[in-house]
Amino acid sequence: MKLLYCLSGHPTLPCNVLKFKSTTIMLDCGLDTTSVLNFLPLPLVHSPRLSKLPSWVSKDGSLNLEKELKECAGRVFVDSQPEFCLPERELLDLSTVDVILVSNYHCMMALPYITEHTGFTGTVYATEPTLTIGRLLMEELVNFMERVPKAQSATCWKNKEIQRMLPGPLKDAVDVWAWKRSYSMPEVNSALSKVQLVGYSQKVELFGAVQVSPLSSGYSLGSSNWIIQSHHEKVSYVSGSSLLTTHPQPMDQSSLKNSDVLILTGLTQMPTANPDGMLGEFCSNLAMTIRAGGNVLVPCYPSGVIYDLLECLYQFIESANLGTTPFYFISPVANSSLEFSQIFAEWLCHNKQSKVYLPEPPFPHAELIQTNKLKHYSSIHGDFSIEFRQPCVVFTGHPSLRFGDVVHFMELWGKSSLNTIIFTEPDFSYLDALAPYQPLAMKCVYCPIDTRLNFHQVSKLLKEVQPVHVVCPEQYTQPPLTQSHRSDLMLELQPPPMPYRRCSVLSLPFRRRYERVYILPELANSLVPSEIKPGVSLATVSAVLHSKDNKHTLQSVPKPPPAPLSKKRKRVLEEPPVLLAPKPLLSGAVPLEAFLATLQKHGITEVKVEETADGHILHLQAEDTLIQLEEDGTHIVCDNNEPLRTTLRDLGEQRESSS
Amino acid sequence: MDAECVSLLPGVCEVLAASGRSLPDDTSLEKLLDWFTGLTEAGGSLLDACPCLLDFISTVVHNTASDPGVLSFTLRLTGLTAATEDGFQRLQERSVLNQVFHRQRWQEAGLWEDPCFRIGWIQGLRSMLRHPKALGFFVQSDFIDPLLQLQTDASLFVASAANQMLAHILLFFQPASSPGCNGADEKEEDGDGRTRTTSAEYTSAVAAISEYLKASLVPQKYTKLRQSLQILKLLALLLARAGPPLWDKLLQTVADSLEELVTAGCGQLTLPLMDVILAACSRSGADERVLDQHVLDQRVPDQRVPDQRLSRLLSSMLNVDEPADLVHAAAAFLRRGHHSDIVHTARAVRILLLPLHIVTGQSLLGTNTTADERQSSMVEQLKCKSSCISVICVCLTNTPQITLTPSDSLPCPPQLIVIAVLSLLRICSGSSSSSSSSSSSSSSSPTGCSEVCRNVIGSGKVQKCALEALTALSSSPGAKDAISEVFTVLMQYLDNPDSDATVLHKSYQALVKWMSVSPDLSVVTDPLRRGLEEVVKKRVCDMRWEVRDSTVEFLGHLAGVPVTGTPALLGVRCTTPLLKEALQDTESYVRASAISALAKTLTHSWQQGAALSQEETEIVSRLLEILSQDTEGFPRRAVVRYFISWFSLRSSSSSSSSSSSSASLLTQCVRSVLSQGSADLDWEVKVHTLELAELLLDEAFSGHRGYGKDGAASDRTCTPPTHAEGAESQLAGVVELGVISALLSGLVDCDRPVGLRACRLLVTLRDAVCPPSPDATAAAVATVSCELPGWGWGQEVRKTLGMKGSDIAAEESIGGGGGVNEGGDGASVHVSVCEALTSLGLDERLKVLTRSSDHVHNSPLSLLQDILTASAAHTHPDTQPGQEVIVDCY
Repeated sequence: MKLLYCLSGHPTLPCNVLKFKSTTIMLDCGLDTTSVLNFLPLPLVHSPRLSKLPSWVSKDGSLNLEKELKECAGRVFVDSQPEFCLPERELLDLSTVDVILVSNYHCMMALPYITEHTGFTGTVYATEPTLTIGRLLMEELVNFMERVPKAQSATCWKNKEIQRMLPGPLKDAVDVWAWKRSYSMPEVNSALSKVQLVGYSQKVELFGAVQVSPLSSGYSLGSSNWIIQSHHEKVSYVSGSSLLTTHPQPMDQSSLKNSDVLILTGLTQMPTANPDGMLGEFCSNLAMTIRAGGNVLVPCYPSGVIYDLLECLYQFIESANLGTTPFYFISPVANSSLEFSQIFAEWLCHNKQSKVYLPEPPFPHAELIQTNKLKHYSSIHGDFSIEFRQPCVVFTGHPSLRFGDVVHFMELWGKSSLNTIIFTEPDFSYLDALAPYQPLAMKCVYCPIDTRLNFHQVSKLLKEVQPVHVVCPEQYTQPPLTQSHRSDLMLELQPPPMPYRRCSVLSLPFRRRYERVYILPELANSLVPSEIKPGVSLATVSAVLHSKDNKHTLQSVPKPPPAPLSKKRKRVLEEPPVLLAPKPLLSGAVPLEAFLATLQKHGITEVKVEETADGHILHLQAEDTLIQLEEDGTHIVCDNNEPLRTTLRDLGEQRESSS
Repeated sequence: MDAECVSLLPGVCEVLAASGRSLPDDTSLEKLLDWFTGLTEAGGSLLDACPCLLDFISTVVHNTASDPGVLSFTLRLTGLTAATEDGFQRLQERSVLNQVFHRQRWQEAGLWEDPCFRIGWIQGLRSMLRHPKALGFFVQSDFIDPLLQLQTDASLFVASAANQMLAHILLFFQPASSPGCNGADEKEEDGDGRTRTTSAEYTSAVAAISEYLKASLVPQKYTKLRQSLQILKLLALLLARAGPPLWDKLLQTVADSLEELVTAGCGQLTLPLMDVILAACSRSGADERVLDQHVLDQRVPDQRVPDQRLSRLLSSMLNVDEPADLVHAAAAFLRRGHHSDIVHTARAVRILLLPLHIVTGQSLLGTNTTADERQSSMVEQLKCKSSCISVICVCLTNTPQITLTPSDSLPCPPQLIVIAVLSLLRICSGSSSSSSSSSSSSSSSPTGCSEVCRNVIGSGKVQKCALEALTALSSSPGAKDAISEVFTVLMQYLDNPDSDATVLHKSYQALVKWMSVSPDLSVVTDPLRRGLEEVVKKRVCDMRWEVRDSTVEFLGHLAGVPVTGTPALLGVRCTTPLLKEALQDTESYVRASAISALAKTLTHSWQQGAALSQEETEIVSRLLEILSQDTEGFPRRAVVRYFISWFSLRSSSSSSSSSSSSASLLTQCVRSVLSQGSADLDWEVKVHTLELAELLLDEAFSGHRGYGKDGAASDRTCTPPTHAEGAESQLAGVVELGVISALLSGLVDCDRPVGLRACRLLVTLRDAVCPPSPDATAAAVATVSCELPGWGWGQEVRKTLGMKGSDIAAEESIGGGGGVNEGGDGASVHVSVCEALTSLGLDERLKVLTRSSDHVHNSPLSLLQDILTASAAHTHPDTQPGQEVIVDCY
C-alpha cells in the first residue's frame, strides 16, 4: 500500500509522509510561522508605545487577561514569546520515519521539532546550500528570539472556553495547544547533525527498496525536487520550483517524466503578481521615496530573493541617480549569507557559474560592498549606529514584523509619511503584519516577489512530463477565495488531481505490478528455455526465493540430504541415468476442434460442447466428467478417477503444445 | 535627350546585343528601361530619338541564344516603343512585333522557363496595349489564352503581373461611360484625344476573359484554391473600376459562380470573396446615381444582375457557419462603410459585437440573445485561445466604426460599447468584470464566459487593441458619459505593475485623448487626481526607460491640453520637478523628451510674458550644460528646439515690461546656442541651430525691402528712408548675436543639409542688405563686419574668399574698428559682411548643394558610360573584370 500522510495544510510549507515499499519517507518539514502574527512584536529597545498598549477586556468585562492580551487599533494580540504552528504529530508515529528529504531551506524550519522530540532515528537528506543557508535561517530565528527573552508564557488564552470568546483571528486559530516556542541553538545543531549531504542527481539507496535522488528545482540555492523510485514505480515530489532565470541552477524538468504519481506543492503564493512587474514596482517605489527624502524599509529573509533584489538595485541605482544612497543589510547572519552565496558556484545558474572562472564574483553585491554602497551589520547595535545615514534603504528581518531588527525601524520610521515600507516576501499578509503598528503614517507598498511556478507554468510543465496521477494541496484545485472568477488560477487536469489537506491520509492510486528478482548464475545455467514465439522464450524454474534487504534472489533448491544407503537403492543408482527429453512447455489455448478429434481417437465419443463467456465446457457424458476450457486455464472435473484425469491432461497438453 | 547620350547609345546597344558580355551590375537594364520610360512619358518618340533601337530589337530577337535578361529587357523595350501608334506601325513594318512576342518560338528555345522572361513578355505587351491597333494585334495573335494561363503561374510576380494585365485590357479599352456608348463598334474621342473603342476585338477579349472567370472561379478541388483566389482578386479590381456595360457583363457572367462559391463556404476565400461582393455592391449603388434615368431605361432588365441578387450574396456572406470567417466578413463590410444598407449594417454590427457580448457579459445585443443560433458556435470558437484573441481584436478594431453607424443599426446605445471595451480591459488586467463595472453588467453574464475570459486575461495584444479602440472611441457620440469610468480604468492600467511598456504608452495616449474630448475635468474626482499624481511620480522612476520616456512625454502632452474651469489634472508644481529630475536620466531619449515636455509646460508662461522664476533660470542653465556636454545627439537637438520655441513664442509679447529680465536671459542663451549649436558634431543640431538663426534674421529684417521671405508684404510696409540705418544696426545686431558666424560655418559644413540651409539663408540675407548698386546706404551697411577665426570654418571661408596672408591687412582696413588678433596662424580677421556675402559665390554654391549628392552617379550618361566601360573591361582580359563593379556596389 502506498500511503501519503499530510501533516501540514500549508501549500508552500509542506510536510508529508510517504509510505512506499516498506520505507517511510518524510517529504519536507516546513514550519508554519503565520501563527506569530497573533503575537505582539518583540522590540529590541524599549518601546513606550508598545508597553502602553491597553489590555484587552471583553465587552461585558467578564474576561480580563490583563497580562496576556493587549489591544492595538481594534485588534487583540498575545503578549508573549511568539509561537509557531508545527506539523501534525498525532497522525502517525514519527519515530517510524526512516528518512526526511528536504527540498529547500524554507521547507526545513520545523526540522529540530521533528528530529529532537519525536524519537526520530533516521537520516535527513539535503543539498549543501540548503543545509548551510537553512542553518543561517534557524540561527537568525533563534537569535531574534533569544536576544529579547520574555519570561512570560501566555497560556490562559488557549483555554478553549476563553478562546471561544476572543475576537478576530485569535478565536479561529486552530490547534493552539500544539503551538510551540522557538527551538534553541543546541537543538538546531543536533538536528542538523543528522543531515547527510547529497548532490543533484546523486542516487541514494534506501534499504535496497527504493532509490531517492534530488533534482535542481531552480527556486533557490541548492533547492531540489525529489525522485523516489523503485524498479517499476516512480513517485516525483515537486516542491518550490521556478522557471525564471534568477540566480540558482535552472530546473531539471526532464527527469520528472514518466512518473506514476507526482506530488505537487510549493506553487507561487501570489499567482497574480508577476515577479518582473513586482521587481519593477519595488525599484520605482524605492527611487520615488529616496528622491522625496524618505527612507525605505524592506523586511526580508537573509537569503533568497534578497540576492536578486540587490542585483536588480545594482543595475538600477545608477540610472535612478541613487548612487549616494546607503543600503544597509542588517541580520545576525548578514555577513555569512552574502559570503556563502558567492562560493556555491556549482549551484548557480550557468551565467553566474561562468563568472567564477573570471576574476569577478558571481553576485554583484560584492561590488556594492566594495564600493561601500551596501553595508551589512549583525544588528542595529554597535557599528551600525555610528555609520547610520539617512535617507537610506534598510533590508532586515523578520518579514512577519514580530521580531528582529525590523521592529525597531517600524517604531523609528512609522510616524513619517515620507518613509516607505516595501514588502517583498510573500509569506505574510502585509495588512496583518502591520496591524500592531497602527495607526501608521509610513507609506506601505506591497510587491510580493514569489518566483515559484504559477498555474500557467505548472500546467505547461505537467503537459510536458505527463505524470499518471497528480496529488496536490486542495488550495490548488479551486480559484483563490478572493478571486473566484479567475478560473485560470487553478489546476485543471485529466484525470483530476487528488487534493489533500492537513491530516489527510491518501492512498496513492497505483498498483505494484512487477517486482525485480535476481537469479543465481548456477541456477540460471540449469534453465532450459524454449522459444514459444520469435524473441520470447520460457523456462520453468524450481528454486528457493531468498529475500533480504528488499532484494529477492532465486537460489537452487538445496539437494535433499542423502538418504541412508540401502543396498537396493545403491543398485538403482548404479543404473545409468535415463535422460528424459524435457517436457514440452505449455502455452496458449487448447484448440477445440483438434482436441475433440483427439478425444475421439482415444475413444471418448460422447462429448457435449457448451459455449460460455470465457471459453467452452466439454461434458464427457459417458465418463461423467467436465472439462472447462478457458483462455488462461483448463480444469478437469472428474469424480475420483485419477487415471482418467491424467489421460485427459496429457491429451490436452499435446494439443496445447502443438498449437 | 542629351546629345552625348544619343551618341553613346548605339555603342551600348551593340554591347547589349552581343549577349554574354558582362554588365556593370544587374540593375543596369532596369535603370536603362526607367530612362526610356521617362523619355516616352515626356512625350517624345523613342524611335525618332534613338533610331538605333529598332536595329537593336530586331538583332536581339532573332538570336534566341541571347541572354534571357537582355531578351526580357528587349521585350519590355519593344512594348514601350510600340506604345504609340506610330511606333507600333514602324515595328510592324519591320515585322519585328510578331517575332518579339512569339510565345511558341521562345518556348521552343527553352527561354519561357525563366520567370524573368515571362514577366518581360507580359510587361512588354502591357506597355504596348495603349491603342486599338495593339489590341487588334493582341487578340489576333491569340495571346489571351496564354495570358490566362499565366494568371496561375508558379511565380507569384508573374501571376500578379498577368492579373494586372488582364484588368488593364478590360478597363483600358472599355467604352467611356457616357450615355449612348452602349452600342458596339462605336468610336469616340475622349478628353485626351485618345481613341477608345468598343471594337470586335475588345468584345471578344471580354467574352474570352469572362468565360474563363466563370469557368474557373469555383475550385474543383482544394489544390485549385489559388486560382480562385487570383480570380477573386482580379474581379475585385475590375468591379471596382469597370463602367456600367462591362460591370453588368462581368457580374452577369460570374454571378452564378459567386453564389456557388459563397455556399461552398471556403474559409480561405472569405475575405477576397467579400471584397468582390462589396466592390460589386458599391458600384451598384453608385451607378444609379451617376447614370441618367434614360440610360437605365435603355438597359434590358434581364441582362442586369438585380440588386436583390447582390444583396442575397451579401446576406449569405454575413451568415457563413465558421465564426471567425463571419467576423472577418462583417469587419470587411463595415470597413467599406455601406451605411445606407441598414439591414446588412445592422447584421454586421451584431456579428462584431457578439464576441464582446460573450466575453464581457455586457448586454450589447439586447436581452434576447439566447435565441441567436450563432452564439454557441462563437463561444466554442472563443474557447480556443489563439482564435479568441484574433477574433476579439478584429471586433475591438471595429468598435469605433460601429459607434458611428446610424443609431437604427445599433442594437445598443454607443455608450454601452465604450462600457464593454472598459469591461474587457478590466478582464484583461485580471480584475473582475462584474464587481467593478456599472449598471447592467452583472445581470447578463452568459454561460461560457469564464472559460473565454481566461483566454484574454493578461493578453498584451488584446490590451493594446482595446486601448487603441478606447482612444478612438473618445469621439463617439455619447462617449462623454463614460469619461469618469474611462479615467478609472486607465488609472488602473497605469498603476498595474504588470503593464507592458507599450500598454502604458497607449494608456497615456488614451488619457490625453479623452481629456481633450472633455476639457471640463470636474468629473475627475480628487482621489483620482491624487492617484494620477502618485502613479506618474512612480512611473518616472520606472526601471524601463521606455516607460519613463512615455511618462515624460505624457507630462508634456498634458500641458498642451486646454482645460476649462477646473484645475489642470496635474499642476505645474507637480510636473516641473519631475521633468527637472528627468533631465538627469541615464537614457538620452528620456532627457530629450523631458526637454521637449518642459518647453510645452512653459509655453503658456512664455506667451503671457510672465517673469522668469528661479526654477526656470535653473532649467535654462541646465539645458545649456546639456547642449555643451551631453554625449548624445537627441537631448542636444531638443535643447535647440526648446530655445526655438521660447524665442518664437516670446516674440509675440516682447514689449511686456515684466519680461525684460527674461528677454536678456533669452538673448544670452541664444548667443550661446548659436555658437555651440553651430559647432556641434550632430548635423541635426546644426540644422536646428540654423532654424534659430533664421528666426533671428526674420525678426531683424522682416520689414526690409528685398528680404525674400515675405517680400510682397514687406514692400508695402517698409519705408525706404529708414532702410539704410535700420539695416546697418540690425545687421550689426545679428553679427553681435553670432548669427552670421553660425551661417558662415554652416555654409562650409560637410553635411549637405546644413550647407544648403545656411546657403539659402545667406542668399536671402545678401538680397536684403547688399543692394546690387553701391550707394550711400550700401556704404553704411558695408561698414558692418564680422569675425573669421583663424581655424576651422573661418579658414575655410577665407579660402573661398581668396584671402591669403597678404590680403589680411587689406581686409583689416575695410573692417574698420576690427583688426588682427595677434597669434600667428590662428589669428582671426574681420571682414565686411556685405563683401563676404557678395564674394562667396553663393549662387553657384546653392546650385551645387541643391543637387543630390549622387546626381552624377544617377544620370543616364553615367549609366551608359558604365555599361560601355564594363564591357570594355570585359573584352580586355588584361584588366581585372568585375573590379569596377565591386567598387560600384559600395
